[in-house]
Amino acid sequence: MTALPWIDVVGYWLGIFLTFSVLSFLYKDNPFYKLVEHLFIGVSVGYLIVLQYGDNIEPKVIDAIFGGDLDGVWLGLRIVALVLVLMMFAKVVSRRWAWLGRYPLAFVVAFYAGLQVNAMAQAELGAQIKFAASSIDAPKVDLNAAPAEALTSLPGSSPAVAAKLVAERARQPFTSVDDAATRPSLTDLERADLAAARGHLIGLDARAAVGPGERDAFGLVSNLLLLLATLASLVYFYFSVAHRGPIGAVSRFGVWILMIGFGAAFGLTVLGRISLAIGRAYDVLGRTVAPEDAARIHAPWASLASIALIAGGLTIWELRQRRVQPVPPPGADGQS
Amino acid sequence: MAAEHWSERLQRFDRRWIFLIMGLAVVVPLFVPLNLPTRPDPMTKAAYNTVEALPEGARVFVSIDLDPSATPELEPFYRAVILHLKRKRARLVFATTWYAAPPLVNRYLRETVDRAIAPPGAEGYDGAPDRAYQRNVDYVYLGFRDGRSAIIQAFGSDLRGAFDGRADDGTPLDRIPMMQGLNKLADFDLVVLVSAGSPGAKEYVQYVGTRNRLPMVAACTAVSTADLAPYVQTGQLLGLVGGMAGAAGYERLVGKPGAGTAGADVLNIGTMVVILAIVFGNVVYFAGRAHRRRGGRS
Amino acid sequence: MKKTVPLILGMVFGAYALAEFYLPHHAVAGLSDELRSWAAILSAAAFILGGLNILQVTWPKIRRREDDWGYKVVLLGGAAVMLAVGLPWHKLGDPPRAPTVARTAGGAGPGATVIVTVPDDVTYTVGTVVGPGTGAPIAIAVEPGPVAIKLSKRLAGYRPLTTTVDVAAGDTVTVGGEPPILWGRDGRVFTWIYDHVFGPANATMFSLLAFFVASAAFRAFRARSIEAALLLTAAIIMLIGRAPFGGAISSVFPDLAQWLLDVPQNGGRRAIMMGAAIGAIATGLRVIVGIERSHLGSE
Repeated sequence: MTALPWIDVVGYWLGIFLTFSVLSFLYKDNPFYKLVEHLFIGVSVGYLIVLQYGDNIEPKVIDAIFGGDLDGVWLGLRIVALVLVLMMFAKVVSRRWAWLGRYPLAFVVAFYAGLQVNAMAQAELGAQIKFAASSIDAPKVDLNAAPAEALTSLPGSSPAVAAKLVAERARQPFTSVDDAATRPSLTDLERADLAAARGHLIGLDARAAVGPGERDAFGLVSNLLLLLATLASLVYFYFSVAHRGPIGAVSRFGVWILMIGFGAAFGLTVLGRISLAIGRAYDVLGRTVAPEDAARIHAPWASLASIALIAGGLTIWELRQRRVQPVPPPGADGQS
Repeated sequence: MAAEHWSERLQRFDRRWIFLIMGLAVVVPLFVPLNLPTRPDPMTKAAYNTVEALPEGARVFVSIDLDPSATPELEPFYRAVILHLKRKRARLVFATTWYAAPPLVNRYLRETVDRAIAPPGAEGYDGAPDRAYQRNVDYVYLGFRDGRSAIIQAFGSDLRGAFDGRADDGTPLDRIPMMQGLNKLADFDLVVLVSAGSPGAKEYVQYVGTRNRLPMVAACTAVSTADLAPYVQTGQLLGLVGGMAGAAGYERLVGKPGAGTAGADVLNIGTMVVILAIVFGNVVYFAGRAHRRRGGRS
Repeated sequence: MKKTVPLILGMVFGAYALAEFYLPHHAVAGLSDELRSWAAILSAAAFILGGLNILQVTWPKIRRREDDWGYKVVLLGGAAVMLAVGLPWHKLGDPPRAPTVARTAGGAGPGATVIVTVPDDVTYTVGTVVGPGTGAPIAIAVEPGPVAIKLSKRLAGYRPLTTTVDVAAGDTVTVGGEPPILWGRDGRVFTWIYDHVFGPANATMFSLLAFFVASAAFRAFRARSIEAALLLTAAIIMLIGRAPFGGAISSVFPDLAQWLLDVPQNGGRRAIMMGAAIGAIATGLRVIVGIERSHLGSE
């Protein structure tokens, strides 16, 4: 691999400095953060204009109309689109012509609204109602008869394992879940995965059987709870009836279900936010580049230098601030 | 005057100390890893199984809709799924609907598609190797188009028209043999969505997936996992890889640990800090409440 | 008048978007695709308009020397630089697309030789042989026949030089060249600024949330009621279940977290999705029918 050019090494140092400048906001709003914030906005605006023009306006308007990509009716229609774009920009020229912008806006809002109605009806309403109204039965997967797709969905299974189970049962039907999970054609890793997935509540033993007609009891309870959770939450959102008596009780249950759901979503949100911080930590320690490049960048030293520079700058800034205005009493600055 | 109760002192705790603790929780494990194994969750396994069930040479549409802030959670999945698809000699068509994505997509293609991710003899990897792909022969990058749900719906009816008949490098799609017969998303064997938000997996499900019964798997940020999980249950998505933990699980299934596995290990301490913060914060709150109910006497 | 005509146009296009779902005729499909292109064009134009608006609003603040006007100069400067380097300047000249090739025929032996001389920041690909340049000539033995040659740089923003040379037995082919720099959205400088300014700033702005979430967890998340307690308990179970340490303690935690996601979370979320869908359908129909006009502003 060729060596990383020096200009790119400087680029990584700049990125590290900008990272710590933004993180300095955790101390308080300060000139370093403000500088990066404004730089980011400016660069984003320039980036956005270049990209939107190059990837959307140029091929769909300039090349299509003036480059001969379209002809006939389609050319005429595309010229109408160009007219709408010009109407949108009319207010940049003069506020008196701002009303022209209503035409493209009316098209966009109404067109997207029309697309949305069908999409919501089918994907959000239709598909969800269909699922909610489906049977709550939870039959166990018959290891001796189920197709490979059903076997694949079992805990600890995979397409390769499912194919082997199909071959094994043709040779000799399974007598128990233990028997299926320990057949010789399975690799050690596959057997270990199946063993780790065993469990009578939600594991392999709960979901699989070696004959027809068996039921997953916990699955049945879960499916029933899922249906009740949906119905109760819907009752909560129905405000045309007062939430009193039995309706009130069902609505309260619905609120509990929603709270559990929001809690689960919050837990996932926390994990997501921490991941973002981990990503930055990897970058400023040079762990996202190849080892040869990391050896040139010396990211940990660049990080320390950035922290020192910013800390020194903030110290000078704070001293200047205190000379201009006295320090407020504790609790007044919202930080403690 | 009664002495200040400890709970009242702690309620005024300067939050910058918490920021510092959080910072240490993220940085220290990078030097002292716990190396705890990751366990793929069922939705991640379902995504893996869907890709694994593809035939050799399958045609796969990959939509990379992210920005730099989402890369810690989504890039590990992207690298793992591309290795998985290249092992299957899948023919790949890439596109994006996020304006912040194109330079990232170009870098990903250079690093993972134009080159082999796991050539023969790759360290720490026992699976089948992949090879370098050739642009416009083994894969096509269509480029970026804006338009949110409208352009996603256009992918479902006229993919070539949505990209004005050309790949991102200007090559007419009619002149690319691997694009033959690929006119809309339903012509693909699988749609893989690397989705940081909106427009993304949700819009694909709503505007084109359900209507055309497309086989789709998605990776999303942890924040969006709860939002998209119902689609996995209804079958509108065949699998969902949520956040860095999900990506770590996918890496484990593919057999090539990477940034997701390393990052998920670091998640442990940060998660413990937040849990302790919630628990301790409530202890402080309830202690203070009990103290106030007793009339402020210790 | 200034509002009525746009309103009627909106009703027409909105009704069309609603109806096209049910009309399988190919002409309808063609028109629908064209209107979707309009939507894409107008979306892109709206972004550009927004960007220009920011610049339009910022310039008077600098002129009037308002508070923090110095930062606004940085804002405009950043935008100006990105716009300048985003132009495809390389199209003004005629940068090479292929390496220089010189052939010497008539040598002995069944094979042929390609001699590559490129700087050390250029990667050569001769057939299946890939390697970095050294500045000095590098000889590569090849079989007679067509040989694909590519000279490229590992970083974005340079155009690779490619050619295919038909070599005969005994030939010696000398190849050289340096990939030219590109400008514009795939250009060197544009990508450099994206990688080292836009990317780190964008990512770090969002990563601040990790710290605020930790602070909020201590200061604000109180189990003041049964509902709040349920929320916090579910959050803690999900945190323990999804992080690797939960599985290391016991497989109960990941299983419980998954069950929490599959049953109560999905149940409640499904109800929210249905309710939101009904709301979205109602709002969409209101816009199409013309009852909802707030987006058109006042007269």
